[in-house]
Amino acid sequence: MDLAFTPEEQAFREEVRAWVRAHLPAEISHKVHNALRLTRADMQGWAKILGKKGWLTFGWPKEFGGPGWSAVQKHLFEEECALAGAPRIIPFGPVMVAPVIMAFGTKAQQERFLPGIASGEVWWSQGYSEPGSGSDLASVKTRAERVGDKYIVNGQKTWTTLGQYGEWMFNLVRTSNEGKPQTGISFLLLDMKSPGVTVRPIKLLDGECEVNEVFFDNVEVPVENLIGEENKGWTYAKHLLSHERTNIADVNRSKRELERLKRIAKTEGLWDDQRFRDQIALLEVDIVALEMLVLRVLSAEKSGKNSLDIAGLLKIKGSEIQQRYAELMMLAAGPFALPFIEEAMEAGWQGNFPGGVTANAPLASTYFNLRKTTIYGGSNEVQRNIVAQTVLG
Amino acid sequence: MDFDFSDDQEQLRDAVRRWVDKGYGFERHRAIVAAGGFERAAYGELAELGLTALTVPEAHGGLGQGAIDAMVVMEELGRGMVLEPLAHAFIASCVLSAHAPAALQAAWLPRIASGEALVVLAQQERKARYHLDKCEAKAAPAQAGYTVTATKSIVPAGDMADAYLVPAQLDGQLALFLVERSAVGATAQGYGTQDGGRAAEVLLQNAPATLVTQDGLAALELAVDTGIAALCAEAVGVMDKSVALTVDYMNQRKQFGVAIASFQALRHRVADMKMQLELARSMSYYASLMLGAPASERRMALSRAKVQLGQSMRYVGQQMVQLHGGIGVTDEYIGSHYFKKLTQMEMTFGDTLHHLGEVSARMQDTAGVFA
Repeated sequence: MDLAFTPEEQAFREEVRAWVRAHLPAEISHKVHNALRLTRADMQGWAKILGKKGWLTFGWPKEFGGPGWSAVQKHLFEEECALAGAPRIIPFGPVMVAPVIMAFGTKAQQERFLPGIASGEVWWSQGYSEPGSGSDLASVKTRAERVGDKYIVNGQKTWTTLGQYGEWMFNLVRTSNEGKPQTGISFLLLDMKSPGVTVRPIKLLDGECEVNEVFFDNVEVPVENLIGEENKGWTYAKHLLSHERTNIADVNRSKRELERLKRIAKTEGLWDDQRFRDQIALLEVDIVALEMLVLRVLSAEKSGKNSLDIAGLLKIKGSEIQQRYAELMMLAAGPFALPFIEEAMEAGWQGNFPGGVTANAPLASTYFNLRKTTIYGGSNEVQRNIVAQTVLG
Repeated sequence: MDFDFSDDQEQLRDAVRRWVDKGYGFERHRAIVAAGGFERAAYGELAELGLTALTVPEAHGGLGQGAIDAMVVMEELGRGMVLEPLAHAFIASCVLSAHAPAALQAAWLPRIASGEALVVLAQQERKARYHLDKCEAKAAPAQAGYTVTATKSIVPAGDMADAYLVPAQLDGQLALFLVERSAVGATAQGYGTQDGGRAAEVLLQNAPATLVTQDGLAALELAVDTGIAALCAEAVGVMDKSVALTVDYMNQRKQFGVAIASFQALRHRVADMKMQLELARSMSYYASLMLGAPASERRMALSRAKVQLGQSMRYVGQQMVQLHGGIGVTDEYIGSHYFKKLTQMEMTFGDTLHHLGEVSARMQDTAGVFA
């Protein structure tokens, strides 16, 4: 047993750190470090910078043009990006649909779609959730009917994250009603500029439009955009979900946000308030414990021994931690977290925020926003069902 | 970064587990509790397995193994609720080899390794609670060496041990001494503890003592940190077994015509127990891996670990009892003994609030396993 990374892993970390420091635009990291609004240009701009370096595809194998990094290298890359204040990589293209296209797509599909994902040029969206489907993903109702060399798609997706920017969308659609719900699902790639696609943003409790409803009204999708075989989509979807591994814990970003929480506590004069400070200390212990759990998973992946089937635990703990830091940040500002002045969440705002600390402007919004973390990606209750299944049978 | 055990460590684990399963079942545990909570013969069996020698340097007749080996052993002893305080052999060997003069090492380490001598930390004072720097015990120079006057409480197997490591004030500074139980002026009054083990009030009246080190606080901190790491590992074993007992019970016990393992309200509780167990296991690794770090980092790490373990132990213990229902609060059932063990461990070497205070006081701008 050894806690330290190997000298090679350390050198890799240094290389990534130096590169990120040199290439991450300061105005973007400023926004991330202060939870200010990111524009589409900010997010895609960083994606393209990574794409040019060949790192947007940091999880891809070499044969598809990725760097072929180990699980530890991927972790270190994500950690360095997070700590430097890089926007999170929008996962739908490079992290979610790309592995499915690699594993189950035709050569033609791979040649057509992977380059745009790798460069960050094409913005992908996820079409999984539907109204009423919640955490029960297999209850997909959106229909795709084969007519000649096309599918005609009708139905509705929802909670489509940043779908307002989406150019392509991967969808679970129902192509058969026979057998179990899982057996009649197909995996379709859909051009969001197609006639009949309507994207309607959903305003959330923080005032932001982070998610969308997407409506399909007789949308034509060429059959060559079907991944793999008809009615086998559930298998591909599970493959996709298996690629969301340790990063669902999001421990790297939580480490960065813990630093920010401490800065806020100092600004608000709470650093020497024992009751408040102890709450930060508890969170710090939680974060270190979660990080150790993540490192154990990485170690198991590295050696192939003692494999750990604890993705559910990572999701539960990771999301609870995210909610807790946001809560403590808001509580630190106290009454000065209450003014709702949307412009103050834009970088460069010159107004006078009540109390004089503009950094307090987004704290309540972030708190409200992060209530989503225990709901999405399989709610924490569903995760507990999964964990209980592995423990109790 | 590697959390795999070596083949030797796996073999060590198997050997200890075999002994626990065959030689230290619940019946023997009960018998030892009834007989006072400590059995020298059982301690001798640990010595025969080589466990008392595990972390003693080879030059002094030990096996020269490290913190991870000790951790593996303690996990297995926890699983079997072994009452004999092997952790104190690890504490004594660590502190003596790091701080004691050569002659003292040569006199005691071989005997600790062989199991002939049980040396325990006698540290707790009434007014100190968990603060290591608070100490009223007094030491004074004598013709040959020193004498110590002290009242130390909850000393593990204190009336059965052969010698004590005793912190005491010497010229206004905390020093660490070794005092033999047979010393003139030393008396020990034994009693049982809540976990079925044994402890004693140790009174020292101008008892002859040998100086271990004048840097007593550093030595005491190392002793307690070594103890915390061992306790964390032991707790993981106890909790692992507690979760297993609960799972077995829930799959057997029927209510309303079905196994209670089918009720979602209870299943979620088990998922949360598993969460606490795995967080605790992670932090137990962290504790043992950080034992060799510089003192300030080590102290912070061990306090972080104890905070996690304290929360985990309380949750797992309380939920085990609750999920068992009435049987969980009977003396007859093994689970209630695991619960008491977990409860006692939370209050040993500093409870959760104490260590939370330590973490709080030591916090830096950045935090993480590598920060």
